[in-house]
Amino acid sequence: MSLNAVELMGDVSPAPRKNILDVQGLKTYYKTRLKENVYAVDGVSFALEEGKTLGIAGESGCGKSTLALSLMGFYFPPLNFGSGSININGIDIMKLNKEQLRKQILGKEIAYIPQAAMNALNPTLKIIRFIEDMMKEHRPDLTKKQVWDIAAERFKTLNLSPDVLQSYPNELSGGMKQRTVIAISTILNPKILVADEPTSALDVTSQKTVIKLLKELLDKKFIKSLVFITHELPLLYHVTDDIMVMYAGEIVERGSAHQMIFDSLHPYTKKLMGSIIVPEEGMKENRLTAIPGTPPNLKNVPSGCRFADRCSYAQEECKQGDIPNRYVGDRVYRCIFDPDTLKEWYKNEER
Amino acid sequence: MNAYTKYFIRKSGWYLLTLLIALILNFMLPRLIEGNPVSTIASQVSQGMTDSDSIKRVYDNFMKEFGVDKPLVVQFGIYLKNLVSGDLGTSFGLYPRKVSNILASAVPWTVGLQLPAILVGWILGNVLGAVAAYRKGVFDKVLFPVALFVNSIPFFTLAIIMLYLLAITFKWFPMGGGYDYQMVPHFSLDFILSVIRHHTLPFLSIVLVTIGGQAIGMREMSIYELNSDYVLYSKLLGIRDSRVARYVFKNAMLPQITGLALSIGTMVGGSLICEIVFSYPGIGTWLFTAIRQLDYPLISGCTLLIALTVLLANFTIEIIYGIVDPRIKAAQMEEN
Repeated sequence: MSLNAVELMGDVSPAPRKNILDVQGLKTYYKTRLKENVYAVDGVSFALEEGKTLGIAGESGCGKSTLALSLMGFYFPPLNFGSGSININGIDIMKLNKEQLRKQILGKEIAYIPQAAMNALNPTLKIIRFIEDMMKEHRPDLTKKQVWDIAAERFKTLNLSPDVLQSYPNELSGGMKQRTVIAISTILNPKILVADEPTSALDVTSQKTVIKLLKELLDKKFIKSLVFITHELPLLYHVTDDIMVMYAGEIVERGSAHQMIFDSLHPYTKKLMGSIIVPEEGMKENRLTAIPGTPPNLKNVPSGCRFADRCSYAQEECKQGDIPNRYVGDRVYRCIFDPDTLKEWYKNEER
Repeated sequence: MNAYTKYFIRKSGWYLLTLLIALILNFMLPRLIEGNPVSTIASQVSQGMTDSDSIKRVYDNFMKEFGVDKPLVVQFGIYLKNLVSGDLGTSFGLYPRKVSNILASAVPWTVGLQLPAILVGWILGNVLGAVAAYRKGVFDKVLFPVALFVNSIPFFTLAIIMLYLLAITFKWFPMGGGYDYQMVPHFSLDFILSVIRHHTLPFLSIVLVTIGGQAIGMREMSIYELNSDYVLYSKLLGIRDSRVARYVFKNAMLPQITGLALSIGTMVGGSLICEIVFSYPGIGTWLFTAIRQLDYPLISGCTLLIALTVLLANFTIEIIYGIVDPRIKAAQMEEN
């Protein structure tokens, strides 16, 4: 274990290329009825380069949706901001007041696609009226006619009929609603699009259409970067450059999509990959195994490694003190063991 | 013909059928009550008469005049025939006053009492409910139980308590009636003031109960809408809070509009008990009197008026709803 390979959390050195999103030590928490603070995002740091896509994966309840919301910098109860910074294109959005954030950042710099796009649109408002309301906040200089032209043009470009604009949400199918939501979210060409499980409620065909749409947005430069959140790791392999795995409010590993799927280092990523069917060559023969146990209660997280209780490789020292981030090339993972030891273990297990 | 016109026609048919059934019930039910209205009236008219023949003649005369000597089916036929020409019959109890004349004199009192009370109660209740849902905190914690309490008090109990406290104990308000009984209705300041003084207690009793019910309903609906996904999404697109609040309250209002239309529609029959408690000269008091005197035409007249207004209100709501809420319109057109 070489010492300089071990860096403490928060000491991430700045990336050489231009970061469009830079999150440092972000902590956000839910205030419960009993006035307890539950940290669903607990000290998350990562950066995203311009033009890149990042996937965030993890079990349900690991904090990925909360992280997606937290990235917007706009908090309302019961979610609260704890500490940390969110830099979007060089602006620390946590230093802005609510009005500035709402007018200058939301929808313009960073946009959001909610988990339940089915209900994301006001049922008694025509799509175009909603777009008009949104434009009133960001582009008050535009007339209704201009807004219509912009919206119709964008919808056409994205293979959506401009007729949709004159519809009420209930007149659209599920897949159509999802694509409409994506088109609305990106109408102002935000630099970053945060998509929280945009495909989880859709059938496979609609899923594919949505993925294609997201790629199209990137290709046509309507958005610069994409943060894609899902519980389906294999999906990320096809969509994103990098993958980040979250566990109990922390990021346990980050690497390129290929590394994460075929050569994961952190025991949790390894187990997560073992628990799902991956149709890729060399992976589909794997036996499926479930991860025993359940994630820890975020109200009362254990000290040391949060995964230790469910980890088959865990040892006494795993459960003490802070677990440092380890950097291997351009990847990072949070475990006390070095890559060689881990790989040795994984190899033995496969035999 | 488009789907919506078809829906409209089909619904109208159903409402006409309902009205017909209501007519039959309105006619039959009073006549099924035990007792003979004519003998009561005849005995009053023939008071002091000793000649049993002339008493019999008075009785027969009234039997004929009221048409109660014929079989029920024939009576119903006559009733329907008169109804078509707008004749609701002659009151037994207030012979020879026309039922339509009595109703016409009673409706303004009922509407004058109910309409402002319902509107004021509805508006206040909805505003309070919406504010409670939006503000939460202390305001909500105080308002909710109070509204629940007021809403749970039976209408007549509240009326009687108010009558006892404010009219009998403190003597701030008159005990009943529409105006001072020694006055003759005419257009003067004195008369109007008297009407207002008599109006206050029944008005307040209706307003209070309405506020309670509306506030609870609006609060629940608003909380539900505030937690819906479109609120989060709209806010995250940078849409200002006041506009999102408008979305929420428009959507939360929809069921409340039904409530308002229904209470306006059922207004004529909605305050029967309140009117009886305060002896207010509206439909309720008349219906009460008519039932005691077995005044068939007046009972039928009152209930027909109530049935008509309820049906009309329901029908209007259904049509308006289709216009306001696209989801309902879609569902309505699918019914075909």
